[in-house]
Amino acid sequence: MNKINRLMCSLVIIGTALLLSGCWSKKELTDLAIVAALGIDKNEEGRYVGTLQIINPGNVAGGMQGGGGTQGPPVSVITGTGDSIVELSRRTSRKLSRRLYYAHTNLVVISEELAKEESISSILDPLERDAEFRSTAIIVIAQGEKASDIVKILTLIDKIPANKVIKTLKFTERTWGENISVSMQEAIKTLVSPGKELAVSGFRISGDVDKGKKMENTQQTEPSSLLYTGSLAIFKKGKLIAWIDGETARGSVFLLDKLNASAIAVKWERKDEAMVYELIRQKTKVMAKMEKGKPIVSIKVQAEGNIGEARVPIDLTNPDVLLKVEKVIEKEIKKEITMAVKQAQKNRSDIFGFGEALHRTNPKEWKKIAAKWNDIYFPEVKIDIVVDAFIRRTGLRNNPHQVNK
Amino acid sequence: MEKAKISLYQLFVLILLFELGSAILVPLAIDAKQDAWLAILSGLIGGLFLFWINYRLFLYYPELAPPEYMQKLLGKIAGTFLAFWYIIFFMYTAARVLRDFGEMLLTFAYLETPLFIVNALLMLVIIYAVSKGIEVVARTGELFFVSIYFLAITGFILIVFSGLIDLNNLKPMLEEGIFPIAKVAFTQTLYFPFGESIVFSMIFPYITKRKSVKKVGLFAIGLSGINLAITMAINIGVLGVDLASRSQFPLLSTIQSIQVAEFLERLDVFFMISMVICIFFKVSIYFYAAVAIAAVIFKIKKPSKLTYPMGMVVLFMSVTIASSYAEHLKEGLEFGTRYVHPFFLVIIPMLLLGIAFIKNRKRSSHQKI
Amino acid sequence: MTMSLFSLSKKMKKLKIQKKPAQQHDLPAKALQSSLQEQIDYIKEKTGNSIDVVIRKLQLGDGKSAAVVFVEGIADSKAINDFLIESIMNKHPVHNSQPIFEILLKEVVALGDVKEITDWDNLYLSLMSGESIILVDGAQKALSASTRGGEHRSIQEPGSQVTVRGPRDGFTESIRTNTALIRRRIQNPDLWLENMKIGSVTKTDVSMMYIKGIAKDEIVEEVRNRLKRIEIDSILESGYIEQLIEDQPFTTFPTLYHTERPDMVAGNLLEGRVAIIVNGTPFVLIAPAVFIQFFQSVEDYYGRADIATALRFLRILIFFISIIAPAAYIAVTTFHQEMIPTQLLVAIAAQRETVPFPALVEALIMEVSFEILREAGVRMPRAVGSAISIVGALVIGQAAVQAGIVSPAMVIIVAITAIANFATPAFAVAISARLIRFGFMFAAATFGFYGIILGVIILAVHLCSLRSFGVPYLTPMAPLIPANLGDTIVRLPMWAQKKRPRLFSDNKENRVGDNQKPQPSQSRGMVNSALEKGDQDEQN
Repeated sequence: MNKINRLMCSLVIIGTALLLSGCWSKKELTDLAIVAALGIDKNEEGRYVGTLQIINPGNVAGGMQGGGGTQGPPVSVITGTGDSIVELSRRTSRKLSRRLYYAHTNLVVISEELAKEESISSILDPLERDAEFRSTAIIVIAQGEKASDIVKILTLIDKIPANKVIKTLKFTERTWGENISVSMQEAIKTLVSPGKELAVSGFRISGDVDKGKKMENTQQTEPSSLLYTGSLAIFKKGKLIAWIDGETARGSVFLLDKLNASAIAVKWERKDEAMVYELIRQKTKVMAKMEKGKPIVSIKVQAEGNIGEARVPIDLTNPDVLLKVEKVIEKEIKKEITMAVKQAQKNRSDIFGFGEALHRTNPKEWKKIAAKWNDIYFPEVKIDIVVDAFIRRTGLRNNPHQVNK
Repeated sequence: MEKAKISLYQLFVLILLFELGSAILVPLAIDAKQDAWLAILSGLIGGLFLFWINYRLFLYYPELAPPEYMQKLLGKIAGTFLAFWYIIFFMYTAARVLRDFGEMLLTFAYLETPLFIVNALLMLVIIYAVSKGIEVVARTGELFFVSIYFLAITGFILIVFSGLIDLNNLKPMLEEGIFPIAKVAFTQTLYFPFGESIVFSMIFPYITKRKSVKKVGLFAIGLSGINLAITMAINIGVLGVDLASRSQFPLLSTIQSIQVAEFLERLDVFFMISMVICIFFKVSIYFYAAVAIAAVIFKIKKPSKLTYPMGMVVLFMSVTIASSYAEHLKEGLEFGTRYVHPFFLVIIPMLLLGIAFIKNRKRSSHQKI
Repeated sequence: MTMSLFSLSKKMKKLKIQKKPAQQHDLPAKALQSSLQEQIDYIKEKTGNSIDVVIRKLQLGDGKSAAVVFVEGIADSKAINDFLIESIMNKHPVHNSQPIFEILLKEVVALGDVKEITDWDNLYLSLMSGESIILVDGAQKALSASTRGGEHRSIQEPGSQVTVRGPRDGFTESIRTNTALIRRRIQNPDLWLENMKIGSVTKTDVSMMYIKGIAKDEIVEEVRNRLKRIEIDSILESGYIEQLIEDQPFTTFPTLYHTERPDMVAGNLLEGRVAIIVNGTPFVLIAPAVFIQFFQSVEDYYGRADIATALRFLRILIFFISIIAPAAYIAVTTFHQEMIPTQLLVAIAAQRETVPFPALVEALIMEVSFEILREAGVRMPRAVGSAISIVGALVIGQAAVQAGIVSPAMVIIVAITAIANFATPAFAVAISARLIRFGFMFAAATFGFYGIILGVIILAVHLCSLRSFGVPYLTPMAPLIPANLGDTIVRLPMWAQKKRPRLFSDNKENRVGDNQKPQPSQSRGMVNSALEKGDQDEQN
């Protein structure tokens, strides 16, 4: 009895003490500025300029609760300058009535200029260290633009521009395959690995940047300013060294084994792009070995897909014909991969992780050559590509229709 | 010693929760790089042996608690002295685990909260549980065991389904040969967490079916070792060696990487739930052992009376043992596993077993004559 | 003023002092006087001339005067008229040699249970429990004839614990009816009934019922001892007993089960539990009670096993929702905003934008106003009930949101919590969940999910430390008893539940025979033998 009283007493005392002393880590929703995207530039003085895209909840959610403010922009942008990322983030508090909240920051935009000038790993450290920041945030490079401009453009269907960028990347990766979405965690993993270099997608703006900042931009069927995915940025030692695009980029994505689906146009009976192969899934295996002190990489690609378009008379009901088509497709894929490897070798940047593959199979020899891998050994790598492409189906029709007039 | 009965299943649950305790949260055996899981498994073998030593000691004196047989083996004064050191050791370790926990919570979720408050809250709950007796702790363990495993399996499935595991990260195996693994196994994982099972010698006397203690104990430790190895392998598979070794809490980073169906992301809270529960049991068991030894050597009838003062000591110790997390970790690795653990977890039990063996052989040979 | 108060309290003290010896004076059995007039006077004095104590004077055949005394309302007046007064008046005893009581006992009183009484204590006890007393002039004895009766509520469908399938009878306020309802279900001499009178003023009948050979002797003994220990002036409901015999008084959780359903009591008796039946209330106590019992409904056993299992999972979920939902909302919106998907967070943030309070205050406003509404709804006369619900719906639902005092999300949370609370089958647990919820809300508001988890641990430790008549409260989950897990959160089919709960039944016999799983072998033939033949032909 006595014991219980004592326990109750102490609990009451502790409870009131806790309640009175306040709630340390408490953050009310109404005190938060939810940062959706972070753009990082460098100004002329060599200081970092951070552009924060802050969600304006009332204007996004709408509904009965939002009040009359649905006319305003769904996000507002605030900039801060500082010698470091943390400093610039803290300094923005001078312009903001709320606490910056980074846990929903899904996008980090880095300007091309900055990425070329210095290693992006120095930017990523504070983001990785911070407990709030998501390690799954996507990184993109502002291709030929300022990162701040990318963050400022208002978008049409996805009200929050950061979402638009992320979703665009995700869907283009899934359906076209020239871009990849790289999370911060993946980027850091790649940056520290001696046997692999980073490749990150770029983003560009079409049209007038100043018009893109205004609400009118979202009130027309064709926005005067639009965000779209650019090329693939190739890094070396954390610095941007080149851009690749088109088939080379797709070849790289093939090699990274990140390609989900794409459409590959092939030549048939002397007609260019006569048929389109809709890739559904593929699997790329990279094996590396050392032979006579030289690395050899064998690449095996298995692709599966359908015929999506046939513009020449062809008998698609005939399996033998399909086999021939498959051969052509294989050749095309092989060509793209070869282009990608050549390009990377020219850049002396092993974005495909051949070095890592070698590390796994020949750890001892890898140790000897790791330091000189990118500059001496990688450009010399001999590759051996085997592609197996399968046409599974030909769509709703078998043979293409022919206009007989 | 209180009057309590612990079933074999309860022992199993307690050992498992205890072993997983803080070990599952920290980058265990990461010095062995991608072979960390191998180092854990090798440490496990040594851990099983240490458990067997404690079990043999228990078999010699099944009715007595460790401080009592220490007094019997070493004499009244020396035995009491040694038992007293064990109280300090257990309380210190409890404080260390509590500190680990507080640091973790502060690092990833409650940045602005004072360490003392976070630790104090958990310690109060632990004091409450321990003052209710070991039976209640054991029953609570049974209750949470299922939910912890449920969470763990759900997490595992989520990680597998979001395609995060890259087994290539675990290659090449044995890059530096067997030596680094053995070194990590015998300087780290042997003691932490496997050697720590020595606390259970305080609980053995409560068990009704003595013969199965060995089987159940070895099985529980084995299973916990396998679980730890799998967890560490997943951590490295998801994060890669570099990130896993730079993470203060690799399991947290692994869980944060989960993104399923655009809905299940940032599952930090589930990590926190399992963490609080595991740490609760680890500290509770250490703390209970300390309280129980103190109750035996100071001949206190109601051990629950000791929980408040001793709990406060543990709490203050947890806040004051180090000024920063880095110092705390270094203290653990350099001072703890190098000097304290071998002494308390290996040498003393072995010595005690040796003395018990000689004494009992003498006695039995006397009886024969 | 102070003086009067002082004197009053003094008087009170005096009264108390006077009262005690008076009560003690009653205790030694005082023998009856011989004169009828004296007896009647004494009764009148003792009962304060109460108007419902009827004293009917009669003349016996041999000229002796007698009296029948009974209390109107609790005695069956028809039986008194037909079998007592009428037969006494009609009878003209011939042989005077026999003592008058013998004659009355053997020849006159046509009632089942007739006893001789020699002292006043027993006389009053019989009189006040509805029996009729026959007094004869010159005899130092009295006869009591069992004429208990009067108006009772008839057996009706129980108001609580309504089921779709299952028997419709419920307990009433009369203890005999209640024991009969149980006996009709378990027609076995091993069903034992022990009676005792508890309450120094009310002298309430309290019976404990158990099945000898199934109930564990230690538990029966424990229940008996705890009942005997009770010293209290009154027992008006079984809740009085519950508070006096429970293991742990400082808990919000019930450690005894109470029910209005005889089938439920019968089922529990068969598992080895002890029922405590109190006169004057339809609620029967069942001991020992375990936590999981409060999530089971009788209907689980009548319906299909798989569905019952699913429902039990649902009820556990409901319990957690009703405890944690508002707390989780507070924790998520003030501490762990990273948990929610961005879109949802933005939606909630937009709603909260106009709310001037912190999340805790918002939640408290809603929860408290809902509790007020609920309490009002329970206490209100039925006719005004609908008015309450209209006002409640308007105030809580719409107006509060439109006024910007609470956010719509909070309304959803409170509504879910409330409905979850109503869906918990046992009221005793539901009401404790209501209380605990506020504790969790405060914990969540100060420490977010950390507070909630600590709360859950404390709750678990507390539940684990509870016992009901020595049986751990969380049996058979903690301590785990695998043989009894078949009737916990899962309910196995009847043929698979072989063992009785081990901790409160000694009976090791299986409850069902071996191989009771239905194994129909002839079903195909029964449906259509011609078709079966055709099948075989085809095979050939």
